[in-house]
Amino acid sequence: MAKIIVVTSGKGGVGKTTSAAAIATGLALRGNKTVVIDFDVGLRNLDLIMGCERRVVYDLVNVIQGEAGLKQALIRDKRTENLHILPASQTRDKEALTLEGVEKVLADLAGEFDYIICDSPAGIERGAQLALYFADEAVVVTNPEVSSVRDSDRILGLLSSKSRRAEQGQDPIKEHLLITRYNPNRVDDGDMLNLEDIREILAIDLVGLIPESEAVLRASNQGVPVIHDDKSDAGQAYADTVSRLMGEDVPLRFQLVQKKGLIARMFGGGNRR
Amino acid sequence: MSLNRDRADTAFTFKGGMLPMTVMELASGDPERIRAQLTGKISQAPAFFQHTPVVLSVEQVDEPHLALERICAVCRAHKLLPVAVRGGSDPVKQSAWALGLGWFPPQENRPRAVEPRVVEPEEPAEAALPAGTVETMPGGRIHRGTVRSGQQVSAPEGDLVVIGAVNPGAEVLAAGNVHVYGPLRGRALAGIHGNREAGIFCHDLHAELLSIAGTYKRLEDIDPRMLGCSVQVQLKEDQLRISALT
Repeated sequence: MAKIIVVTSGKGGVGKTTSAAAIATGLALRGNKTVVIDFDVGLRNLDLIMGCERRVVYDLVNVIQGEAGLKQALIRDKRTENLHILPASQTRDKEALTLEGVEKVLADLAGEFDYIICDSPAGIERGAQLALYFADEAVVVTNPEVSSVRDSDRILGLLSSKSRRAEQGQDPIKEHLLITRYNPNRVDDGDMLNLEDIREILAIDLVGLIPESEAVLRASNQGVPVIHDDKSDAGQAYADTVSRLMGEDVPLRFQLVQKKGLIARMFGGGNRR
Repeated sequence: MSLNRDRADTAFTFKGGMLPMTVMELASGDPERIRAQLTGKISQAPAFFQHTPVVLSVEQVDEPHLALERICAVCRAHKLLPVAVRGGSDPVKQSAWALGLGWFPPQENRPRAVEPRVVEPEEPAEAALPAGTVETMPGGRIHRGTVRSGQQVSAPEGDLVVIGAVNPGAEVLAAGNVHVYGPLRGRALAGIHGNREAGIFCHDLHAELLSIAGTYKRLEDIDPRMLGCSVQVQLKEDQLRISALT
């Protein structure tokens, strides 16, 4: 049975889609049959990050409304075996999604895949609630700033009350904290919240820490999930995140200010650019 | 299932709120005297009389029967909208309801001891009955875990105990005391039905808002030296007093 993981945040622009693309790709690279679904109906972006925007014919809304079969709408990733993308519709809005429709799509996918990654839209309205409703696990993407932390807190409240697991009294959704755009220099300067402050307020397990990195923007614009860039710090940090999601114990890195010494440059953890 | 409740079939939602409200403290139950005074006031401050909702407080009027209907008519004629009555005898309460007005219990119990009240575990009901003693608070509630932004946890009939943090943007309310064994970073409201003896107790005070029986303090108004401390909050002489728990 597939594991359903929602990538969510409440706040927009914190890196949900980047993270969903990187995590889905990482899981597939490890041999898991993985599908990533864009729930951001009307603001479709995942296809761009995955670099498959020219191959979109049918989308999630078409499948839910019976205008296309699931097989027709799924796009096979060109770079990574075992990875499929189910894009969102750009011309419809989130009202086109129904609970029963989403349930059926997920049930059909669950038979074929090991992991189903749901890329949630921002906000706490219908689209976001549908994306998280059926989840088994949640990756809560948070930037080191107060508004993002507060919105993540709000989403954590929804995960524990407005999900199928909560409403049916099953085991709660397993919640993971993923901190993105972390810049240790700016944390030291007091411009950014530090790791411990965020963990203290949100009080959930940390699954990954992605440093602020030029590699992310470059990857987005090229349509190649940043995890493929295994020379970059962000790519390596996402690989660590995927390992932890799969239950491995990997030490945290990139949380400290990078030393500029020769040894650090030669043997240090990852290239900043 | 909550997800199925979309906007189309949700006719309403209940929300707690604290609205500023004008209380019209009546010293006399005579409609003619009220009319005379209102006519004088309206010339001084015509802007105030714009269908302003008012609560008629009759606590100081020592009459078992009031011409409530006539008093309301006088108010309406002067563009004041009585929405509720506070205090008064049982017949007054009944006639308020008959007129479609709400009724609030009297606010007064101020002259009582200002000592911090010791919460006794489960007092027998008859011991609490004698006039003037503290009411029992059944129906208290214990919440375990973090109260997150946007969540509201309330104990409408008794004390609320939160074992965990109350995060920014969260709200905890109780008819009685609020206890938070963890950081209090959201809003805490005790004595929401007017119990002025209720208190707020917490480890690590960072509350956005503290309120007891409607008297409140915002984070901005809280003495910064108290932030981060274990404190108790009491209502004394219409002011919230925050003191360290040692």
